[in-house]
Amino acid sequence: MNESVSTWLYISALGIYFHAIFVSITLGFPLVIIALLIKYWKSRDPYYLSVTRKLTFVLFVNFALGAVTGTLVEFGLVQIWPGTIIAIASFALAPLALELIAFAGEIVFLVLFAVTLGRIFIGYSIAIILVYWVFALFSGMLITAVNSWLIAPWGTGDIPKIIYPFLPSYGPLSTDPATLVALKILLLASGSPLQAVIQQAGVSETIGIILNDPLVAFITPYSVPSILHNLVAAIIIGSMIVVAAYGYRYYKTGDQRYLNLIKVVFVPVLILILIQPTVIGHFMGTAVVNYNPVKFALMERATVTYNNPLIALLAYGDPSHPIIGFDEFRKQCDAKGGLTLGELAKALKLTKASLLDLASKLNVKVDEGRLDAVLNTRISDVCKRDLDRAYSKMNVISVTYYVKILAGIIAFLSTIILASIVYDVKALSNLVRRFISPDRRWVFILTSATLVGVVLSAILGWYVREVGRKPWTVYGLLYPEELISISHIAEQTLFQLIVVLVILVVGLGGIYAMYIVATREIRFLDLLMKGVGSKSRS
Amino acid sequence: MNSEIQIPGFILVGLIVLQLAVAIHIALVSITLGVGVLTAYYRTLAVTRSNAWAEVFARRVFRAMIVTELFSGVWGTIITVVLAGFFPTLVALATNVLFTPIAIAIAAIMVRIPSIAAFWYTWGRIEPRKHMMLGWVMAISGFGVPLGFRTIFAEITSPHAIAIYLGGSPIGAWTAFGSSLYWILLLHTVFAVLSIGGFVIASLEAFIGDVRGVRIGILVGVSFLLLQLLAGPLYWISLSRYAPLIYDVITFGSFLPVFALKILLILALIALSAGALITLMLKNIIPRSTPLLGPIALLIAFLGEIINDSSRYPYMVTLNREGLSPTLFANFYMDIPLPIVYIIVAFLVFTVGVYMLAFYYAIIKAYVGVVPEET
Repeated sequence: MNESVSTWLYISALGIYFHAIFVSITLGFPLVIIALLIKYWKSRDPYYLSVTRKLTFVLFVNFALGAVTGTLVEFGLVQIWPGTIIAIASFALAPLALELIAFAGEIVFLVLFAVTLGRIFIGYSIAIILVYWVFALFSGMLITAVNSWLIAPWGTGDIPKIIYPFLPSYGPLSTDPATLVALKILLLASGSPLQAVIQQAGVSETIGIILNDPLVAFITPYSVPSILHNLVAAIIIGSMIVVAAYGYRYYKTGDQRYLNLIKVVFVPVLILILIQPTVIGHFMGTAVVNYNPVKFALMERATVTYNNPLIALLAYGDPSHPIIGFDEFRKQCDAKGGLTLGELAKALKLTKASLLDLASKLNVKVDEGRLDAVLNTRISDVCKRDLDRAYSKMNVISVTYYVKILAGIIAFLSTIILASIVYDVKALSNLVRRFISPDRRWVFILTSATLVGVVLSAILGWYVREVGRKPWTVYGLLYPEELISISHIAEQTLFQLIVVLVILVVGLGGIYAMYIVATREIRFLDLLMKGVGSKSRS
Repeated sequence: MNSEIQIPGFILVGLIVLQLAVAIHIALVSITLGVGVLTAYYRTLAVTRSNAWAEVFARRVFRAMIVTELFSGVWGTIITVVLAGFFPTLVALATNVLFTPIAIAIAAIMVRIPSIAAFWYTWGRIEPRKHMMLGWVMAISGFGVPLGFRTIFAEITSPHAIAIYLGGSPIGAWTAFGSSLYWILLLHTVFAVLSIGGFVIASLEAFIGDVRGVRIGILVGVSFLLLQLLAGPLYWISLSRYAPLIYDVITFGSFLPVFALKILLILALIALSAGALITLMLKNIIPRSTPLLGPIALLIAFLGEIINDSSRYPYMVTLNREGLSPTLFANFYMDIPLPIVYIIVAFLVFTVGVYMLAFYYAIIKAYVGVVPEET
């Protein structure tokens, strides 16, 4: 992998992590706002409305940040990784097009909520923020579906398995294998990224249909647990930010109202934190086992196949099932024997002449000698080379995964203890209060520990999800170096530094702006008078 | 128009949706760019000259931005998805040849949208001078978007960087900015948004009944409209040189009626705004027709964008009197499910209604207060 590709992977990760922060607040705050509005509706205590207002202001600033970092990620795909345009125009098109409904719906209902809050019947406000939340969740669902397709390319059937025999079948075949293999061979033979091919006028008509089922990426055995896992994680983080903030304020001020706020908003968060690792996490884990076997081997350090009844029970539902390791994968690569890419192409009725003809039609420069070399490449060599590339990340993936599990356990336990001191949970509260006094210091410690636990768990979990699918961007099909921009500007260090700087300034500046909105009281008239040269009211 | 070129039905749908999205986006963005500059300017006056009226005026007109900016951004995203979905080849080519301009536009968006939200919600929470600076960041960053994205429009009208690239020569980072047509189009755009910003403010202030605010809005609108009387014809004449096909269609062909309507609306805008200004100066009252100024200005921008884009049909890229068909850039990788497209478009039109409802409550019914409410 060249240096520029590697650098852009890091920069892309930076942008995505910032986007994830804002998306978490986008998805988590509505839960808190709804809980507070219901409390206000029941109690008629204006304090709850004023707190809701403040959270709405923060949500609004956050939404703007989420929208622009989403735009950044979107343009990152088409501009830095333009090879993905072919996926956007096929497998990902239906989810991304429907995402427009979600995005537009989110914005208009958020604006309507912010404008009318406190001015209309509170039941209507709850309904409006609920509609906003549904659109926000729908948006998250669609984007996760696209990301899940990159990790488990549903609709490509046995195509990845032809080269990597240890991979599963990715659903019913909805694409033309000959077209995909021809494109892959031309990419290898030309030595150019995909953009050099797909930017040629008339290319799409020449290549023709590559996808028969436009909806194939929507609901897949990998996307369903991914969607649940990601959305629930985001809701937990977003709402825990509020809970931890109130925990901190309670600790600093001793104001009982902050504890009351925690009591109001913590119940739904508690339920989600309890089911995330135990139920949803389990389904996510089995999806990884089934559809990303190499990633699972990296997570469990399976250099060689071994037995572990506990992991096997969780992963395969059978304690006697071995944890498949890299030795078994390599064995399966070797089973391909001397089969070459040329022979594979021939089986799909692709000859050297037809490939050169296609290259000529696509205006792609292909050196005949290089094409011969590609066609003579043994599939087993490609398979083992990519396994080695994946294996090189075993240490980091495995350690990251287990630190994530540890962080999750800390969050899980902290949540239970917090619930037992904040609420009266009969025997559990009695037991916990023998060791921990229900004072403000412990509320602060436990809310902070839960927040740190869930945030760390999410950050590391996403790292494992993304890095664990390397060396591919589209699992078993395309490498990052095939998707990178052909523009020489993308390779320039100065440009890369500017992009990093813009992401940091906007991301960190935005977080600071949210902090100001959340913590500073309005002194509009004071500042107005100061601005016009008068003394402050106070 | 070349009637021999056959455009498949799904491409036609793509072109129509794209045109709708671009025209709505341009109209909404015109509001926000112009209003942003005026807000920053009057915020500065408030701080530097201790002008309390300017402070309240800046805050009052900025409410339109808060409601509009994110929604206008949605339509920008719609354009991107429609382009990538219906015309992936064009996107692949543009992201290579126009790499720098697109990067500039994205960086501008990154700064612009959060700074609008931050400007509004930190008003009264941070020191006035810092807030004033934030206002200028907000106002100026907006212009980075047309600075970058207008190269795409200039290139599909009269290829400059793309022509060099397809001719086999290397292109530099700034090649796209070497197009003369681009600079004329940009000038035309900048004057338009500033003029529209003024007229929209005049309309909103007319609802409030603030004579001073209306006068400022009309003065700004008219000033930049006068400059447009230079930039507009200049762009039109430039088309005769750089894109004669479009020039002919607009001037003598099928788009003449739309072009004539646009000219009539401009004349009406001049007459109404001049009349309003005279009445304001002589009688110090707001004429009844003043609320119409903003909508007329927006309609002119909407029509202007349609003329600029759709007059090239059946081509996507024009080359003097010929062009490249959209088929060359279209998506044949899959059969696009048109029923889904229709559902999406219908919903997006529905969101325009919700946006207008929010705008009505925020501005006309003044649910969004000028003085920030204590929480």
